[in-house]
Amino acid sequence: MLKRYRSSLFLLILVLMFGLVLAACNAEGDKDTKKPDDATTEDTNKDDEKDDEEATDDGPKEGGTVTGAMHTAPAGMFNPIFYEEAYESNILDFTHEGLTSQNEKLEFIPALAKSWETNDDQTEITFTLEEGVKWHDGEEFTAKDVVYTYTAIADPDYVAAGGVRTNYVEPLLGYEDYVSGESDEFPGVVADSDYQVTFKFAEPNVMPLYYTGFPIIPEHIFKDIPVADIPKAEESTQGGKVIGTGPFKFTDMIEREQYTLERHEGYWQGKPNLDKIVWKIVQQSVMTGLLEKGEIDFIAAPGGIDPADYDMVNDYENIKIAEQADFGYQLLGFKLNHRTAEDVAAGAIEPDNWVPNKKIADPKVRQAIAWAIDRDGLVGEGHGKGLLHGRGQPINSPIAVQFWAYDENAGTNYTHDPDKAKEILDELGYVDKDGDGFREDPDGNKWVLNMEYPVGNQIREKSAPLIVDYLKEVGIQVDLRQPKDMSVYVDGLTKDNTDWDLYLIGWNLGSADPDPLGLWGIKDAYNFSRWNNPKSDELLYKAIKAPEAFDQGFRTEVYKEWQKLFSEDLPAFLLYAQNSIWAYNDRIQNVQILPQTMYRDSHTWWVND
Amino acid sequence: MYQYIIRRILVFIPMLLALSIIVFGLAKAAPGDPFTGKILDPNINPEVYEQQREALGLNKPVPIQYLNWAKEVAQGNFGESITFNGRSVQSLIKERILNTVYLGIVALGITLVVAIPIGIYSARKPYSLLDYGATTFGFAGLAIPNFFFGLVVIYLLSIKMGWFPAQGTLTSNDLSGFAEFKDRLHHMVLPGLTLGLASTASYMRYMRSEVLDVLGSDYIRTAKAKGMSDRNVLYKHTLRNAMIPIITLMGFEFGAILSGAIITEQVFNFPGLGTLFINAITNRDYPVVMAIALLLGVAILVGNLIADIFYSIVDPRIRYD
Repeated sequence: MLKRYRSSLFLLILVLMFGLVLAACNAEGDKDTKKPDDATTEDTNKDDEKDDEEATDDGPKEGGTVTGAMHTAPAGMFNPIFYEEAYESNILDFTHEGLTSQNEKLEFIPALAKSWETNDDQTEITFTLEEGVKWHDGEEFTAKDVVYTYTAIADPDYVAAGGVRTNYVEPLLGYEDYVSGESDEFPGVVADSDYQVTFKFAEPNVMPLYYTGFPIIPEHIFKDIPVADIPKAEESTQGGKVIGTGPFKFTDMIEREQYTLERHEGYWQGKPNLDKIVWKIVQQSVMTGLLEKGEIDFIAAPGGIDPADYDMVNDYENIKIAEQADFGYQLLGFKLNHRTAEDVAAGAIEPDNWVPNKKIADPKVRQAIAWAIDRDGLVGEGHGKGLLHGRGQPINSPIAVQFWAYDENAGTNYTHDPDKAKEILDELGYVDKDGDGFREDPDGNKWVLNMEYPVGNQIREKSAPLIVDYLKEVGIQVDLRQPKDMSVYVDGLTKDNTDWDLYLIGWNLGSADPDPLGLWGIKDAYNFSRWNNPKSDELLYKAIKAPEAFDQGFRTEVYKEWQKLFSEDLPAFLLYAQNSIWAYNDRIQNVQILPQTMYRDSHTWWVND
Repeated sequence: MYQYIIRRILVFIPMLLALSIIVFGLAKAAPGDPFTGKILDPNINPEVYEQQREALGLNKPVPIQYLNWAKEVAQGNFGESITFNGRSVQSLIKERILNTVYLGIVALGITLVVAIPIGIYSARKPYSLLDYGATTFGFAGLAIPNFFFGLVVIYLLSIKMGWFPAQGTLTSNDLSGFAEFKDRLHHMVLPGLTLGLASTASYMRYMRSEVLDVLGSDYIRTAKAKGMSDRNVLYKHTLRNAMIPIITLMGFEFGAILSGAIITEQVFNFPGLGTLFINAITNRDYPVVMAIALLLGVAILVGNLIADIFYSIVDPRIRYD
């Protein structure tokens, strides 16, 4: 009797203990949400209720906080000249500005510079700056800041300190001498007066606005810090110390969790309406739940809404969705050439030494592979179909579809046509001679293509076995290797004295200019296909050669020809361009959706609730 | 006893040295380097990465790189992270180690509070309803993947009920003192529960089988025959002996806590050492990998030492000299 009593007592204690833990937390939870210094939506709602009572008109209202979410925390480098990742740029887009910006047609429009003109031979571009622009600390923005920013990027210590944006200064006059230390003066960017600055190029340049749009950092903050020490400086890393000209200042952070931006009262385009913009770091899988609940207000690049969640988020009553083509594409690459072991060891890119990959040397074989793959099937037609649930499109050339240069009819549109693929292979003599269901090469040898792919992008990972199946359907045998970590994979793609034949990779392109050089030029390190077609290089360089290329019509024509060449020679088969899907709560007013961003003119945002 | 402890600590040195050589060698042997995993950006000239490799000395022979690293570490400098440009390894670890330790302690507390009493009860009443119930519950905890359990509790207790914050460790930097402590604890409940309940099953099973084992031994029968009360038999004789393997487990747990709970940390966006370590490994951030590996090595060695010392307290037959 006693024993039974004791054991149930024991159980009771256990239950009580458990309950106590839960109850304690619960009580605390109630208290927590009522705390006034809770910097989240609860707080905001209260403020706005007050506003509602006072102002009943429909015009923009002051005050309020909006909360954005991204799935990965910034590395912590809030200096435009040293940051590398999209996560930092989510914050820097609000805090810093460049001389120019881009509109919905991707044309350059004035920002910190109100106008510009180039000289006759296109070696110089002179900007007239806005007057009265104030940095977050109240100092005035002048031409000196522009000169300082570009001189810092050109500094001999810049790369060793971790900087990677040398592309923006390389074509400027005197860069080589300055970066090598042979000269103490950098003549590439000159302040003509406080509000006029001139960029000088070493050679006539057809896209000067691409190079001159870099975000500007304040000279008065950084002039006493050696460039090598800038990444370590608090002015680059700490909230409240980071100074820009943008509509919001970065004031506080809980590192890797929450980043707070507060309005810049003296913003030159007018005082921003919102008090605060808060960025929260939220695990991808709980983001949509918090969006529906109103705890976060917008989700955008990088990542955005998962294509599989599109329909669900679309059903949320309070959420607006912005869907458009992204600046990027995924491709199935063909290793047309391999480098020699000596060249790989020396890091040399010498097209003359390249070893052609006989297995896929014939462009017709590559075309057959393209006909065999069902790109529309990969994209899908709607929710639950394909890998992208219909949220994307196949593209026919490696130029983002938003650009003037993209011509969807320039190249062959490889639809899904397995019969055509079989026909081409039969004609070329790739037939199944030993009856194993797979084709042998024309000499009767085994013909197995080695395919490699990286982990990281889940949709791309899923596409690999599907592609293998499509190729199997037309009798091509593929040896699909285990997926590799990105750092291992890129190492393998680069050091390519290997047996790789097919590879998957994706590219994110910039929004400034469609020039495909950098990826598809013969000697480009990123030309992972080792595509060696002199005609291609001829066209690519012709398209940026002065003086003809000053005419955009001329460039369009040349790129059209190049896109045709690309789709026939097929150094890579472009699989799809995924759409970017951004979502925001309809309480935020005045959001402008541009192809490259939704943060333009954030000073005009206001909340209505 | 003190001599024993000092001797044990002296042995740490060659062990850590060996550990550092092995980890350094393995890290360098893995293909790729800190720059191969960077986001491929056509607007970045790959040449800059080559220059940065040169600047960091990554092109030197591995033994020389190791000696350079070891020289710095001997002076207490763990270097700078490569992935997190401008951040020292110390500051990165400092930023996260407390999160990890707190979460580990809360989780371990939950584990022990649930597992030990149930384990004892199941042993005293084997094959009872509660024993079966606890076993089922325990194995369910083992079987449910951590990330799934985490998402379920976020969905139910945070998004639906709104009782707990779903993500992070703190609401605002403006909190301080007791308010901050409460806020941190509040953020810790869901990840703590997720992590704690996951390891409940193994502790419970250990406790149950140990107590059962001890209960069947001769000295317990003697004690009972002497007329000792049930309670005394349980606390004075049974538990003391049954605790020994649990202490061994806890010794390992000491290191396990520091190594963090990668999945739980990721689901709850709870920045801890686990995510730092795994990211450092995938990004080949060698200085961070080395520092955390050493830290874990020290933690495991110290944990085991403490466990050994506890043995001698729990079991007077164990003596060190």
